[in-house]
Amino acid sequence: MLELKKVNTSYDFLQILWDVSLQVAEGEFVALIGPNGAGKTTTLRTITGLLTPQSGEVLFRDQSIGHLAVHTVSRMGISYISEGLNLFTNMSVRENLLLGAYALNDKQKELETLDFVYHLFPRLKEREKQLAGTMSGGERKMLAIARGMMSNPQLLLVDEPSLGLAPHLTNDVFRALLELRNRGVTILLVEQNVNATLEITDRAYILEHGRIAMEGPSREMKANQHVRNAYLGI
Amino acid sequence: MEQTVTQRSFLDSLSIKLRNNVPATIVIGLSIVLALVIAVKTGPAQLANVIVTGGMWALLAAGLALVFGVMNIPHFAHGESFMVGTYVGYFVFTPLNNYLKDNPNGLLAFLAPMIGVVAAMLVGAILGAVLERLIFAPLRKRTRVGWVMNTFLLTVGLSFVLINGTTLVLGPNFRGIPRYYNVPPLEFLGMRIAVDRIFAFVIAIISIAVLTWFMQRTRTGRAIRAVAQDETGAQLVGINLGFIHTLTFSLATAMAAMAGAALLFMFQAYPTVGLKPLYFAWYVVMLVGLGNVYGAIVGGFIVALLQTATQQFIGIAWEDVVPTVVMILILILIPSGIFGSEVKGIQEQ
Repeated sequence: MLELKKVNTSYDFLQILWDVSLQVAEGEFVALIGPNGAGKTTTLRTITGLLTPQSGEVLFRDQSIGHLAVHTVSRMGISYISEGLNLFTNMSVRENLLLGAYALNDKQKELETLDFVYHLFPRLKEREKQLAGTMSGGERKMLAIARGMMSNPQLLLVDEPSLGLAPHLTNDVFRALLELRNRGVTILLVEQNVNATLEITDRAYILEHGRIAMEGPSREMKANQHVRNAYLGI
Repeated sequence: MEQTVTQRSFLDSLSIKLRNNVPATIVIGLSIVLALVIAVKTGPAQLANVIVTGGMWALLAAGLALVFGVMNIPHFAHGESFMVGTYVGYFVFTPLNNYLKDNPNGLLAFLAPMIGVVAAMLVGAILGAVLERLIFAPLRKRTRVGWVMNTFLLTVGLSFVLINGTTLVLGPNFRGIPRYYNVPPLEFLGMRIAVDRIFAFVIAIISIAVLTWFMQRTRTGRAIRAVAQDETGAQLVGINLGFIHTLTFSLATAMAAMAGAALLFMFQAYPTVGLKPLYFAWYVVMLVGLGNVYGAIVGGFIVALLQTATQQFIGIAWEDVVPTVVMILILILIPSGIFGSEVKGIQEQ
């Protein structure tokens, strides 16, 4: 479904990604893990079009999307839940969600999806009229994921959903992601919480210094000596 | 508990908002007192004056706030949109009026000023879209830093070009009309109000209502607010930034041009007619906070009130001085304006 072929990306003169290649198949739940500054967020930003790759190809359903505008990529069915969340803080929860369905432009479908995400996150329904900026960190993260779902995406890119959350809220977020995946959404998850991530994902890539260092099924990764030393602290 | 929190009545939430915002409460309170003083001392006719000018400043300032909030452009050529509006109003209304002299027609006489205003609005919308596509969109692609400063210089330059271009083509002459509606003033509660003023007021109220409805209730209006609050977030949900920018600029220009045409009976059409409305619109947005569209609507009436009070109690020559002094005080005491600024993009750039 998604394929990166030898992608190189830079911020001005500073190159971050070096020949990154990865694949995500339809229905798969894939993790991208690695230390701070390895280029995980840069990878996601390159896929969404917020950054343009210098060389290499980004393919979505066999179509090159590396040089398309952000809104075009989003309308093709890729939803990106950024680390900063990029919520519309002065708008209500409901308005944020409706904007998530902006690209659908279909009132009927919009309300159906709204019901679905309210079912997934009942908390958001309670807070429907509250301004997004006045909610707690966990609720904001829920809202960002829910907003990302509102466009009925085929591929969900999630950037560090557990960052800054209390452990029980992290569990809630992960449970929501699992539920989405069980409903057939393909997910590429970037995380620092390696243990929990390898627990719930099918496959994982490890990104170190802008290069893919390892890849394989999550279960095997968990048994790998390098991963155990560097990321699990065992 | 949750129920009581969410089901607060409108008045309750308003009073909480005011309690949390002391400067706004003081300014609004003072404005109400000032309005009452004017009404008692000089008669309610002056209040009608406040409402008409206030509506027009609100229209202009709302456009200014919109352009600053959504695109981060300090728009110093906004007065020229007003100027274009006065010319379109003049060139559309005058032939209609001449035709009416020979062929009296009640319905056409009633519609003629509206035709002028609508024509100004359409020309403004097209002009705004063309300017944005031609000037600001290319600049945006090339700018990395200093966008606000660049666009400030650009709009000042644009203002010069438009003023002098108009002088070159149409000459520096004043082109005016004696009045829009050739009927005696209406008597209302002992005041006499010219029908033209009522016309201008109705135009202002309808446009402000339509603007508010558009921004709050429609999908595109919501998208405009989304771009103002978080550009990246807006793009990520599939909003085409370029389209929203062109639309916003076109909308603001159309509103200013409409105000110009509606006030033709007060201002006349000449190349530099837009400068004074521009300054007053800037007073308004500085008073309420840059980029705050709804604040700008309230602020328009406050500044008009201040202006009328100055004319009545201090003297007409002081009309520009007092708002300037108030603006300086606002900038020293509450630089973010009485309602606070909602501009997010400015910190990112």
